[in-house]
Amino acid sequence: MKGKNPIRLIILWALLLFSGSCDILEPEPVDLLTNDLVLNEPRDVGNVEIGLYSAFRNIAPATVIAGDFTADMLLHNGTFSQYRELGTKQISSANASVAALWGAIYNTVYIANFILERLPEVPGVPAAQRNQVMGTAHFLRGYAFFVAMYTFGGVPQVITTDIETNRNIPRASESDILNLIIDDYNEALVTVPDEPVNAGYVGEMAVRAAFARLHLYLGQWTEAAAFATQVIDSEQYELEAEFSALVNEDFTDEAILEVGYTQADDPGTSGNFGLNNLFVGRREIIPSNQVIVALASSESGDRFSSMTFDLANLSGSDNGWSVAKYGTADADNNNVVVFRLGEMYLIRAEARAQLDNVTGITSAQSDINVLRTRAGAPTIPSVTKSQMLSLIESERQYELAFEGHRWYDLVRTGRASQVMTAFSPNWRNDYELWPIPQREIQNNPALVGNQNPGY
Amino acid sequence: MIRPLLAVFFTLFFFFTNAQAQLATGRVTSASDPNGLPGVNVVLKGTTTGVITDIEGRFSLEVPANSTIIFSFVGYKSQEVVYTGQTNLNVVMQDEARELGEIVVMGYSSVEKRDITGSVSSVKASAFKDISLNGIDQALQGQAAGVQVTQSSGTPGGGISVRIRGVTSISAGNRPLFIVDGIPVETGALSGRSFGGQTDNALSLINPNDIESIEVLKDASTQAAYGSRASNGVVVIRTKRGKDGKTKITFDVQRGLIDPVKKLELLNASQLLELQREAVTNSGQSADGFGLIPGVTDGVDTDWQNEVLRTGILQQYQLSLTGGDNNTSYYISAAYRDEEGVQLNNKFSRLSTVINLDQKISEKFSLATNLSISRALNKRVKGDNFLDGVYSGAVKSLPYFVPYDENGAIVGPGSSLYADFPNFNPVGQAVLPRFDVVTAKLLGGINATYAFSSELKLKAQISLDYNNVTEDNYESSQTAIGGVLSSVGGQGYGVYNSFTGSNINSFVTLSYAKSLSEKHNINALVGGEIYQTFQSSGSVQGRLFPSDDFTYITSAGIVDAGSSLKSPPTAIVSLFGEANYDFDDRILAKISFRADGSSNFGPNNKFGYFPAISAGWRLSEEKFFKSTLITDLKVRGSFGYTGNERIGAFQYLATWGTATYNGSSGVTPNNVDNPNVKWETTQDLNVGADIALWSGRLQSSIDAYYRKTFDLLLTRPYPSTTGFGGVIDNIGDMENRGIEFSLTTVNLEGPLRWTTNLNISKNLNKVLFLADSIPLYRGYSAEGVDGTNIIKEGEPLGSFWGMNFLGVDPATGDAIYEDRNGDGAINNSDAMVIGNSQPDFFGGITNTLGYKGFDLSFFFQFSVGNDVLNFSKSTLVNMGADIENNQSVDALRRWKEVGDITDVPRYQLSSTLNNLHSNRLLEDGSYVRLKNISIGYNLPSRITNKLMLEQLRLYCTATNLWTYTKYTGSDPEVSTLDGSVSSQGIDFFTLPQVKTIAVGITATLR
Repeated sequence: MKGKNPIRLIILWALLLFSGSCDILEPEPVDLLTNDLVLNEPRDVGNVEIGLYSAFRNIAPATVIAGDFTADMLLHNGTFSQYRELGTKQISSANASVAALWGAIYNTVYIANFILERLPEVPGVPAAQRNQVMGTAHFLRGYAFFVAMYTFGGVPQVITTDIETNRNIPRASESDILNLIIDDYNEALVTVPDEPVNAGYVGEMAVRAAFARLHLYLGQWTEAAAFATQVIDSEQYELEAEFSALVNEDFTDEAILEVGYTQADDPGTSGNFGLNNLFVGRREIIPSNQVIVALASSESGDRFSSMTFDLANLSGSDNGWSVAKYGTADADNNNVVVFRLGEMYLIRAEARAQLDNVTGITSAQSDINVLRTRAGAPTIPSVTKSQMLSLIESERQYELAFEGHRWYDLVRTGRASQVMTAFSPNWRNDYELWPIPQREIQNNPALVGNQNPGY
Repeated sequence: MIRPLLAVFFTLFFFFTNAQAQLATGRVTSASDPNGLPGVNVVLKGTTTGVITDIEGRFSLEVPANSTIIFSFVGYKSQEVVYTGQTNLNVVMQDEARELGEIVVMGYSSVEKRDITGSVSSVKASAFKDISLNGIDQALQGQAAGVQVTQSSGTPGGGISVRIRGVTSISAGNRPLFIVDGIPVETGALSGRSFGGQTDNALSLINPNDIESIEVLKDASTQAAYGSRASNGVVVIRTKRGKDGKTKITFDVQRGLIDPVKKLELLNASQLLELQREAVTNSGQSADGFGLIPGVTDGVDTDWQNEVLRTGILQQYQLSLTGGDNNTSYYISAAYRDEEGVQLNNKFSRLSTVINLDQKISEKFSLATNLSISRALNKRVKGDNFLDGVYSGAVKSLPYFVPYDENGAIVGPGSSLYADFPNFNPVGQAVLPRFDVVTAKLLGGINATYAFSSELKLKAQISLDYNNVTEDNYESSQTAIGGVLSSVGGQGYGVYNSFTGSNINSFVTLSYAKSLSEKHNINALVGGEIYQTFQSSGSVQGRLFPSDDFTYITSAGIVDAGSSLKSPPTAIVSLFGEANYDFDDRILAKISFRADGSSNFGPNNKFGYFPAISAGWRLSEEKFFKSTLITDLKVRGSFGYTGNERIGAFQYLATWGTATYNGSSGVTPNNVDNPNVKWETTQDLNVGADIALWSGRLQSSIDAYYRKTFDLLLTRPYPSTTGFGGVIDNIGDMENRGIEFSLTTVNLEGPLRWTTNLNISKNLNKVLFLADSIPLYRGYSAEGVDGTNIIKEGEPLGSFWGMNFLGVDPATGDAIYEDRNGDGAINNSDAMVIGNSQPDFFGGITNTLGYKGFDLSFFFQFSVGNDVLNFSKSTLVNMGADIENNQSVDALRRWKEVGDITDVPRYQLSSTLNNLHSNRLLEDGSYVRLKNISIGYNLPSRITNKLMLEQLRLYCTATNLWTYTKYTGSDPEVSTLDGSVSSQGIDFFTLPQVKTIAVGITATLR
């Protein structure tokens, strides 16, 4: 008897224990989707598309930091070493802002590739929706590579979601990347909707605007002017009457594409690129003295409203000024603009000037004066081509201040060395490109020895 | 359950009388004091009848014939004597320190200490009874060989790192598995919100004064019973239980004062102004233009440390009842502890109760329950890496500013009396916010044992560890977050988080013990266990409050962030067994095995298997071994495996989570799959010897071990081109080797008693292999390097990383760094391993002296050869990177003119080249600390008798009273990233340890 009782008990208990144990060792995920369930029926498509936009959204503020902080627009006024490096022009490959932009680019590329690989296989998706989402994926991938190329040079050309391929992938040549961008833009041009729901989403004009900017950067003036004209003449957009609307409002009448935040999904008080936090909350980054002088000039006019001043902040190295373009979640101006109509006039003006159409009724002069008039600034007289190009450089600084253009403009026009050496004693011409993030070189064997010069 | 309860009442309220009493008389002496031992409890077993020995150790007590008398006294082993009518009963009490037959509870079984073949360190309650401890993990500090305990800061209720024989795992955290009364308990941080560095600590919910003993299981043979969770070691804790005898009511009260061990030496206003003017001038700008005007700017000189630090008050009260009879025994206690932090408004208070019952239902069947319920209120303050921290803010604040305006009101945002950014008025940051964390813990278990025979026993236990955390936060409009941050809106910021976690554990074991013959003894055990965790959490954030009179989110103008999540239940299902064999008390052998299945792994690798063997040979029992000197000598060895599965749920799956954009929601990639990820395994070899000399007057153990961890679970970093940061994988191997020595000696016996406990340990850690040979950077990002810490092949885990600072160029005043790769540029490729936080050796020494009613103990704890990264100095000696932070007095040594020979480079505003992260910030953190000194006095029985007390003890105790160190920061025993394994030992505005001086009274009613 003594032997049997416990054995029976143990068996009973063991049965009880392990009858349930197989289940408890394999719980179902909560608020997570496994990879194979993400995109396999029509109603999944919209969700993945939002995921793509969500990743793309991180590129925009990172580009503002790259475009304005690497150049002469901003000063460091805080404690984070990543921003101090940008402020003092002692940029290192370990810089967290550099890694964040790179990461945002490739996160976007990953989801775009995921859609491009999977969406054609999903049954039952209406052709219009399939085209639109495929087109969006092409466009955002192309735009991500556009930012990558002008920030880092020839970057790894990632066109698959295969982890093993992408773990060990060398830098592509700039021409390969350029071809990919053009192919993606062309693909998008024919598939994205003519007019999206709002400027938070990609439409045909966003693609044309992107082409205009690409051709401007490439010095292909005719094409740049042509694409800019298509956007201007589309009549989908009109210039805001008051420049201050661009500072204080989202989805203005001239917005072609901006990344959308709402109160519920604002990055808020944290995040590497919470622009409001950096510019207003912490005031980690403030306008540089030269940009304050420039925006305060009569030529800048109302575009002075891109900044605010508070006497209480004035002390020591703090000039008391703040960037005003990026509001809080409560405010109506927390979006980051990617393309707007004002830039199209500037692109066309520059292209026309380069094509020797400097003054006249449909010339560089007339395009600039459209913006000058809107800003309540004096119109420009007839000037020479080189004077006009110089005026356009200033005009871009006034109009597009803190929208992330300055560094890219100075580099593409060959003016970086001259302007930046005057601004900072630490400037080196190597800073015309950002470094490949150190972490990438450490973790991707194919990048070893392929850092940009000077880092 | 009625029967045990009734039994409790009976014992409490009924006195036992016996008509046929005889008068037993006698004398109690101790081995060390033949002159008689006063104050010994002499109690008739099973009753409350008893007396106390007089000054000469004599007693007389009326007892029935053939009854049992129990003799007990603090510091001595209890004895039972059967009274058979002896005319003079002489009893010799044995010192507890000399007890050789002590029982050690290890996991599911217990063993006599002398028969242990693995490696175990025991810490008795008496070792920490006078020390004012916040949590049980603190009790281990300096008390056990091989156990390195570091308190991360002087924050009450804060995090503590406990490492047993080095770090064997990176992902399993820096705390071992804690088992309280058979229940695996929650460790680590419970609250969700970051406070800049210091976390809270789930173990602070358990009152150390309810603890009877702590066993630290250090090698595979003892840990194997816990298999998959044991790789960081196991700490087995038993709470106090009732003892057969009359009801004993003890009241303990302790009150004391708390101060920081040290304040930092910082510049005063004039010194700082001179330095800032110099920094501005060196940058080619005008100091006057910056508003740095002598006589004006430094017209105010505030000592900010004095403004935010205070002397805290410690109060602790405990009432406990213990007693029982043959069938029922109980331990009941209630305690309240209130510990004020040294920072304004920082306080930890805890109410805890314990009810432990043991009931024998029949000869075969017995039940034991333990139940502890506690609630802690932790009033936290921000610190460390937060700009709006209190201590950190005080250290950095410019002395030009003031905390209060002319009306005595706290200076808030937007005032010229305190410029807001980057620092914020630390007095306001301390006093104005409400950071209340209320934690409730219920730890309970029922344990039933059925003895089929004296050989075969079935035991089952089911238990619950329930933790509920509520974080109730409000930051007013006069604080940094609630008032300055524009995205919040300047009208207050409220956060309310709640977390509920239940860990349910049940196990059944069947044990068999038999003497096969006189010489062959075996005992064996098999069992199964299921451990499940259930967690859910919720949070809501609100802002735009009408005024600071409304501080709860119900009054918030905008409630714009909130979440709720129920985590999927995770589970471990296990089968285990062990067998012990003892031949003639000479040869001891043990074999054990555990199989664990974990929900954290995919179908390919769900189960892990952890075997261990050990053996011991008691030389002193061999015939050839003849020694009157050596009482006991045993050599032992063990080998086995333990594991780690703590990687979190669903890491093996490719998953997508939610994303939002422009007001719409969608999905975004979350995790790359790795179906082949598997258990991390630690292979452990231990050899040791135990020796007892002179009947146990000297007892010593020595152990040497080699532990190799394979398949370290860690995130394998991916380049971002994959779209992911990395994947959880088995990516490395690591080893720990070390040696431990412990010694207990009874130096003096007689009227003056003196015992010494010494333990000293050395551990060497090395990362042997990392997949892809990729170094992993940890810690903080720092100027010019990839991180302050590195995980790198061939180096100890979490070594400090930085430039090699060669000194200051006397000609220019600039820092010189070693150009290690010789490329002419100083950049992150010139960085190197500059040190590590793991000590060369560490330990503790306790001396206990007693004379008549007096006792004195002093306990030194030491750590030698550990480096501390004084990362605060990257701000406090910043070479002019900014002029918004006060500077350390080190800056007075700065280079000023050509020819200056110094170690502090020149100051130049906005330049960081002189402040690259280097070994300039690394310091020797060796220290010796008088961790505790206590003096107590037991009042003689003639006085206690008059007071109707059995015992009355007065004592005075002090912790951290004295420290010897060369470290120039406030304290070498700090760690800002206190939950981290690979970035320990960083001082980043971390609150130093506190010293506490307290007086106490312990009274036991008769």
